[in-house]
Amino acid sequence: MENHATKITFKVNGEQHTLDIDNRFTLLDILRDRLNLTGAKKGCDLGECGACTVILDGKAVNSCQILGVKITSSEIKTIEGLSQGDMLHPLQISFIENDGGQCGYCTPGFIMGAYPLFESKTNVSVEEIRLALAGNLCRCNAYGAIIDSVVGAIGIKVDG
Amino acid sequence: MVDQNIHSSSVGTSFQRTDLKDKVLGIAKYTADLSLPNMLHARVLRSPHPHANILSIDVQPALKMAGVHDILTPFNVGVGKIAPDVPILDTKVRFVGDEVAAIAAVNLYEADTALDLIKVSYDVLPFSTNIDTSLEMGNPKIHAQGNIVNGGPIVEARGNVEEGFGQADYIVEDSFTTPDHHPASLEPRAALASWDGTRLTMWKPSRGIHADKAILAAALDVNPNNISVIGPVMGAGYGSKDETRTSILAALLSMRTGRPVKLELNREEEFLAGRRRHSTSTKIKMGVKKDGTVTAVHVKTVMDTGAYLSSGPGVVRRAGQGALYLYRCPNVKYEGQIVYTNTPTAGSYRALGAPQGHFALESLSDQIAEKLNMDPLKFRLMNHVGPEGQPGERATPKNQIIDTQPVEGGVPFSSNELRQCLILGADAIGWDKRDQITTPTGPIRRGIGMSMFIYRGGPGGQSNAEMSLDKDGCFTLNVGFMDVGEGSSTVVLQMAADTLGVLPQMIRLNSGNTDNTPQSPMTAGSTLTFSAGQAAVRAASQLASVVIEAASEAIGLTDAEGLYITPDGVCSMSGDGVKFADLANKSGLLKAAVSVTPGSKNYIVNSFGAHFAEIEVDIETGYVKIIKYVAVHDSGRIINPKMAEGQVRGGISQMMGFTFLEDMEIDHSSGVTLNASFLEHKSPTIMEYPEIEVIFTDSIDPVGPFGAKSLGETPCIAPAPTIANALYHATGVRLNHLPFTPDSVLTALKRLR
Amino acid sequence: MKTFTFHKPTELEEASKLLKNVGQGHLLAGGTDLVTEMKQGVIEPNLLISASDIKDMSGMVWNNSGLTIGSMVTLDEIASDADIRSRIKSLAEAAISIATPQIRNIATLGGNLCQRPRCWYYRNVRFNCLKKGGEKCFAVGGSDKYNAILGGSSCYIVHPSDSATALVALKAKVEIFRDLQRVTIPIDDFFVGPEVDVARENILEPGDILVSVQIPKESMDGKSVYLKAKERQSMDFAIASVAAMVKMEKGLITEAGIAAGGVAPIPWHLSSVEGKLIGYCVEDIDVKTISSEVFADARVLGQNGYKLQLVQTYLERALNLVLR
Repeated sequence: MENHATKITFKVNGEQHTLDIDNRFTLLDILRDRLNLTGAKKGCDLGECGACTVILDGKAVNSCQILGVKITSSEIKTIEGLSQGDMLHPLQISFIENDGGQCGYCTPGFIMGAYPLFESKTNVSVEEIRLALAGNLCRCNAYGAIIDSVVGAIGIKVDG
Repeated sequence: MVDQNIHSSSVGTSFQRTDLKDKVLGIAKYTADLSLPNMLHARVLRSPHPHANILSIDVQPALKMAGVHDILTPFNVGVGKIAPDVPILDTKVRFVGDEVAAIAAVNLYEADTALDLIKVSYDVLPFSTNIDTSLEMGNPKIHAQGNIVNGGPIVEARGNVEEGFGQADYIVEDSFTTPDHHPASLEPRAALASWDGTRLTMWKPSRGIHADKAILAAALDVNPNNISVIGPVMGAGYGSKDETRTSILAALLSMRTGRPVKLELNREEEFLAGRRRHSTSTKIKMGVKKDGTVTAVHVKTVMDTGAYLSSGPGVVRRAGQGALYLYRCPNVKYEGQIVYTNTPTAGSYRALGAPQGHFALESLSDQIAEKLNMDPLKFRLMNHVGPEGQPGERATPKNQIIDTQPVEGGVPFSSNELRQCLILGADAIGWDKRDQITTPTGPIRRGIGMSMFIYRGGPGGQSNAEMSLDKDGCFTLNVGFMDVGEGSSTVVLQMAADTLGVLPQMIRLNSGNTDNTPQSPMTAGSTLTFSAGQAAVRAASQLASVVIEAASEAIGLTDAEGLYITPDGVCSMSGDGVKFADLANKSGLLKAAVSVTPGSKNYIVNSFGAHFAEIEVDIETGYVKIIKYVAVHDSGRIINPKMAEGQVRGGISQMMGFTFLEDMEIDHSSGVTLNASFLEHKSPTIMEYPEIEVIFTDSIDPVGPFGAKSLGETPCIAPAPTIANALYHATGVRLNHLPFTPDSVLTALKRLR
Repeated sequence: MKTFTFHKPTELEEASKLLKNVGQGHLLAGGTDLVTEMKQGVIEPNLLISASDIKDMSGMVWNNSGLTIGSMVTLDEIASDADIRSRIKSLAEAAISIATPQIRNIATLGGNLCQRPRCWYYRNVRFNCLKKGGEKCFAVGGSDKYNAILGGSSCYIVHPSDSATALVALKAKVEIFRDLQRVTIPIDDFFVGPEVDVARENILEPGDILVSVQIPKESMDGKSVYLKAKERQSMDFAIASVAAMVKMEKGLITEAGIAAGGVAPIPWHLSSVEGKLIGYCVEDIDVKTISSEVFADARVLGQNGYKLQLVQTYLERALNLVLR
C-alpha cells in the first residue's frame, strides 16, 4: 500500500516537534490542529489573504500554502513565539499603542508579515512598509493604524 | 450623582481597546479556534443548480463510511425555520451554493469524501440571475409569493412631488447602479455546537447572542432556557454575519449525534452562503427653482436581494433616507422595491442601503448644481437640511419616540452640524482652488469632488445593563451586546467609568454569554454606542447612588451628603472614606440593573457628514489615484478619538472596494458565482490605502450618552459619490455605474473621443 | 484534497522516471499554484515529487554567455538580486510585481512559468471546459472580462505568468530534462497556444522537467522595463502588460525584445515591433504609430475591449521609457 503519511521533525518557536502527518496537512493545519497554536488564522486557505502568515526559515510565508511534508528540519516562528514571558515584542507593544487592530483577525498575520522588516531595518519608509505588507488583507481596513504601528515598533527598537 | 459633562476623564481620550492585547499575542479565541473533546467536523453539500426542486437524496453510500456519523437532509430536519422564507433545509434550492445536506464526520477529509458520495436527484427549473429576468419569469417563481417582495415597492412620501415638480424651473433626472459586493470579513462563519442531552451550548461569531438564541430556540423547537449562546471574539461581520443556516445545522448534528460538532465555512462558502450587499438600480429626479431651492425629489430604487429576503426590508428603507431627508424639501417620494433572483443572498452590510441611495442622490445633486450654474458646495450649503428639520407637520404622537429614519416634517434634530461639516471639509481640501487644478498634464486629469450624508444616529432597541461592585474592589458591567471588533466594549467601559467616577481599568466587562448577561439587541445600525452606552451610563449612575448610600452606612454617617466617588473609593469632604473592597465586604452585593428604551420623543437623532476628495485620473489607463481625502463627521461627542478615527479611515478605505474594485460576478448561463475568492473579488490592500484626514465637528448631542451619536457605519456612505463627482470634475464624464474599474472608466471616457 | 504519496529525489533522472511511470504524478516546486489547484479539486495528483533537493535546478550562475537561473530559484531571490536589478531590470520588475511577498518567498521561477491559467471557468470544477477535456469554452458568450484578445482560438485563456512575458522579451532559453537528456530551446518554443493543443500551455510532457532558464548576455545591460496593468496594486494578475528591452549604440538600436502579457494564451512576442526598432535610429521611431498598428489583428470579445486600449497604451509607454 502506498504511503500517504510522513514523519516530520521541525521546530516551532524554538521547540522541537516530531509528528506523523497526513501528506495533505499544511503547516497551518499542523499549527492549529496538532500544536494548538491558533494565532495563525485560516482566512482563505489559498494564500490570498495573509492571515496565516508565519516565519519559515527566516521568511514570511502563508502557512496554508506550505505542505507539511516540506517542513522537515525547518524552523518556524509564530505569533505565539514573539513575546518572552510577560515581555511583549516591540511590534506587539506598538500595535497596541497605535490601535493597529480592530477585529484583530488579521493582526497576527500582519505582525508576522512585518517581522522580517522589523528585524532587518532601523529606518523604514511608509512605502517599504506597504510593500512588505502587500500580501496581508485587513477587511476592517485599519491599514493606516497598521502602518503607524510598524513605524512605531521600529522607533521602539531604535530608542532601545 | 455624577454630571456627565463636567467629570469626563476617560471619555474623549483614546483609552486602549480592551481586547487588543490578546489579539496581538495571538491568544484571542475566535470560534474556529475552539475545540471540544470528542468533536465531530461538519461540511455542507451545496446545490450545483441555481433553481431546482430536490426530488430525493440518497445518503446511504455516504453513511456507510466508518468516519461519517450523521447526515442532515431536507427530509429529516423537520419544519423549523431560520427566517420566514428560510427553512432549516428546503426541498427547493434557489442559488448555486444553497444548502442541500450537512454531514458530521470524524475529520474534514472524511466529510469531503462523503459529500461526493451523496446522490441528489434534482428537477432543474428555469432560473434568473438578474432583476429583469426575475420580473419576466413565469412559474414556478423563486418564492411562492412571487419574485417581487410584498408584491410591490414600499412608498414613503412627504408633501406632493407632482406639485413640487410643477413648481420647478429645472428638472434633472438620471439612473444609477451599484454592485453587489461582499463584506468578505476575514473570519469566515463558523459554529461549535454541543448538546448534552438537555442543553445546547452554541459558540458562534455573533452580533446578538440573545437574538441568536431566540432564532435557535424557534428553529429547533427547544426551550430557550435550555440554550446558551456564547460569542467568542469575532472576526468582524460589518453587519452581515447573522441568520444563516450554519449554526442551526451544527446544532442539529450535535443533537442527533450526541457529540460536539464544529462547522467552519471555507472562504468560497463565506462568499456564497454569507450575505452580500444588495445591488441596486435607481432612477432619481430632482426639481429646483432658478434660485436653487429644491422643490421636489423622487427616487425609485429596485434592489436585488438574491435567493432569500434576509434584512431586505431594512435595507430598502435605509436606501431612501437620503432622498427623503438630506435636502430641505417639502415634496419628496421614495419607492423602494426588492426582487428575488437565483443568486447568493443579500443582507446587511455596513450602512445598509445608504451608500446605494447616496450614490444616486449626491451624483444627481452635482448635476443639478451644474444645471443651475452653481458651485456644488454652494448648492448644498443652500439646501442641506438644517437643525430645524424638514418643513411640514409632525405626525408622530407627542409621547412616542421619534423614528431615526423619519419621513414626516416638523421635528427638529437633537443636533445637526452638517453645515460645519461642509465648511470645515471644503477648507481642508482646498475647495476654493478647485478650478485651478483641472489643467491636464499629458494623460492626467485632476479634480475635486464632494458629497454629504445623513444617517440614523443611534437609538435602537431596548437595551439592558447591570453593574455591580465586586469583592476585590473592582466593578463588573454586565451587558448582552457583542463587540464585533469595532470597539463598543471599550467605548461603553469609558462611559460607565466616567459616570461612576472611577477608572475604566477598574471595570470588568462581562458580555458574550446568554447565561449571565441581560437581554440586548444586536450590534446593528450603529446603535451600540448610543443604546448600550445609554444603558451602561444609567446602570453606572444608579450604582453610584447605591454605593454612596452603602458607604454612608458603612462609615456611620446619618446621610450621604458630601460623599463622592473616586477611583480609590468613596470619600467625603471631612476626610472619612471607605475603600471599595472594604465596602464590598461590609455591605454584601451592591448592584444596579436597568433597562432603557433609547431615543427621543422630541428630536430626530441623526448623524451627518461630508466627504471631499482630490483625485488624479489617467485617461489612457483608467486608473484613479486619490491625492487627498477629507472626511468630516458630526457624530456628537467622540468617546474614543483613536478608535473613532480608525472607524472612519477603515470605513472609507473599505468602500474604496465598492467604488473601484468589488463586484460579485455571476455566470449567466449557469448561475455560478465566478469570483468567490479573495483573489477575484478584489478588496483593497494596503497598497490602495489613501491618506485620509479625519475631522470631527465640535458638538455634543443633548440626547446621546455623553453627547455621542452613531459613527460605525457612517463613513461608508459618502465615498462613492465623492469619487464620482471628483471624476466628473476631472474629466467632464459622469460615471453612473459602480465599480469604477479601469475597464469601466475607460469605457465611460470613450465618450470623450 | 485527494491524498498523494510524496517523494524527494535528489537527481533529475530519478524525478523524471517517477513522473513518467507513476500515472498522475506532479512536480512540487514552491507549491503556491499546485496546492491551490489541489485544494480546489482542479487537479488530483496521486504523487508529488519535490524538486527542492535537486541541485541542478537551484542557484544562479553568471558566465560568459549570460545568466542561468535554476528553475527552483524563488521569485524573491530574483527580485532582490542586485545584479539582476541593474543588468536585467525588466526581469526584476516582473518578479516583484507577482503576487505577494509571502508567495514570492517560496514561489519559484519554474513554477511561475508552468503555472496554470486563471480563467475562472478553468479554475472552477463546476465547469468542464475545453481545456479540461470538455466540449466548450464557457468564456465565449459568458463572462470574458479577463480573457484573451489575441491568439485565442477555441480557448481564450490569457497566460498568467509575468516572468514569462519578461523572458520572452529577453529572448531567453529554457533547459528541459527530457528522456535522460538536457535540451535547450528558445523560450518562444516552450509555450503552446490552444490552436496547437488546448489542454496545455507549454511543451512539457509527462517525465519532462524544466531545469533552468538562460538569459543571453546580448539581452543584458541595455534598457529594459516591465509595465503591468492591474486592477488593484497587489495580489493581482496582469490585465495587460508589456516587457520591453532595447540596446542602443549612439542612438542606433542594435537589439530589441518586446512582448505583451495578459492578452493572449501565450506570452505575445511582438517580433514585428522589434523589426521596426532594430537597425533604426531612436529619433526615427514613431512610437504611437507602432503601438496602434501592432494589434490590428486583436479580436475583442464581449467585455474585454479595455485590454486593447491598455496594451496599446502600455506598449507606447514602455517604448518611450526604453528609448528615451
